[in-house]
Amino acid sequence: MDGKKVILSLKNTGLFYKRRTGFLRHDKFWALRDVSFDLYHGETLGIIGKNGVGKSTLLRMIAGIMDPDRGEVIRHESLRASLLALQVGFIPHLTGRQNAILSGLLLGLCRADVEVLLPRIFEFSELGDFIDQPVRSYSTGMKARLGFSVALYVDPDILLIDEVLGVGDVDFRNKSADAIREITKSDKTVVIVSHNNELIRSLCDRVVWIENGHTQGVGSADAITKQYQQRHTSVAAREMTNSG
Amino acid sequence: MRAHLDLIKYKVYAELSAEAARTFLGILWWVIEPVLYMSVFYFIFGVLFQRGGEGFVYFLLVGLVVWKWFDSSIRSGMVSLQTNAAVIVQVYQPKFIFPVIVVLINTAKFLFVMLLLLLFLLVSGKPASASWLALLPLISVQCVFIASITSLFATVIPFVPDFKWVVENGLTMLFFLSGVFFDISAMPENFQVWLRLNPMAVLIDNYRNVLLQGQMPDWWQLFWVLLFSSILILAALRVFNRFDRIYPKLV
Repeated sequence: MDGKKVILSLKNTGLFYKRRTGFLRHDKFWALRDVSFDLYHGETLGIIGKNGVGKSTLLRMIAGIMDPDRGEVIRHESLRASLLALQVGFIPHLTGRQNAILSGLLLGLCRADVEVLLPRIFEFSELGDFIDQPVRSYSTGMKARLGFSVALYVDPDILLIDEVLGVGDVDFRNKSADAIREITKSDKTVVIVSHNNELIRSLCDRVVWIENGHTQGVGSADAITKQYQQRHTSVAAREMTNSG
Repeated sequence: MRAHLDLIKYKVYAELSAEAARTFLGILWWVIEPVLYMSVFYFIFGVLFQRGGEGFVYFLLVGLVVWKWFDSSIRSGMVSLQTNAAVIVQVYQPKFIFPVIVVLINTAKFLFVMLLLLLFLLVSGKPASASWLALLPLISVQCVFIASITSLFATVIPFVPDFKWVVENGLTMLFFLSGVFFDISAMPENFQVWLRLNPMAVLIDNYRNVLLQGQMPDWWQLFWVLLFSSILILAALRVFNRFDRIYPKLV
């Protein structure tokens, strides 16, 4: 990435959760053990790995929600990194409008900024008059649409996406996927986490591969997704022959 | 800081309106609930046990209203990090705002009930006195006190969830030691000294003097409560700050 600025670096970061193992006993479960990579301004970085490999924990660390227990996260500029968090803090008995405001505030905006964004959020969500109805009267799809629209327009410096492509009904799914594609093509810095190889390859410039809490590889999207594919198809094939 | 303040204000408003929208009678519950709560105690102590004599109703009401604010704030505020777990793992927010929001919600309800109590006093022939103006500093000091205890407990409970049970039982015990049913000043001197180490007992006593006796509060007592509370708040803020990005792992 010549000429591009590093805005965030992870250096040998690890993070554990405490697990209860018995009466007054705990052990440490290391969700991430040793992960290192740099994030460059304006790129779309993919993080690939199997389910339960600590990808979501990694995003929470980048977002500054959790601190690593080992290694460090270096922020080269003070930028706001936040998760594309859907329906965060929604209260069912409040209207769509009230929930949109609450969600926006929780995502770190001040009231005045939320008010400015509201018309665009409402338009994107296609909720029409339902916006002033309580959210508990919404269908799952409608809730998803509102949640996505708020998260989309909050617009942080670094957008972190955790497997949320495609929410709501088919039409809105395409629309939200298009919106994400649009952002990944723009100058915005995006980190996307997924176990879907194809999706990562089509959206990202570079990819970090996480295996057993370690960085297995960092490189161009094509190269890493190919290696990942090979590893996991061969593992799957071996498991098939073993069990067969 | 601006955004945090906006969030606190809106969340308080949102929770209150959600609560009103959740039930059939809505906002009426803010009246019904405390009235029911107070009637139970009045029935037991005023009617069944024939305690206290003529002024006992007012005496009891003041104690209960003031205690309820403290009690409800702590009970729901000390677990506020857990109740907001879904939010805390999705977005970064400084953790102190969660107990503060709970305290403010309960403060709004308390102010409403206090207004009803003042009306009740007036209607039943108690003259409004200039000392009622002292409610303002008195309420402010209690608000700071409640915020300090609630925040401090909220810093502990994610680490030691069992502490919640200790506090709940402690509150029940403290309820009987805070002079809700009896007049602290009527206790033997050597008892009083110990009972007055409890800020709630001091506050309730002062509320009664202000509302029922037309006296000014004991400013020194209020000062000590305020000082004590401020120290606790600073301590709680330090703990929150220290473990700000650890709490999401615990909730």
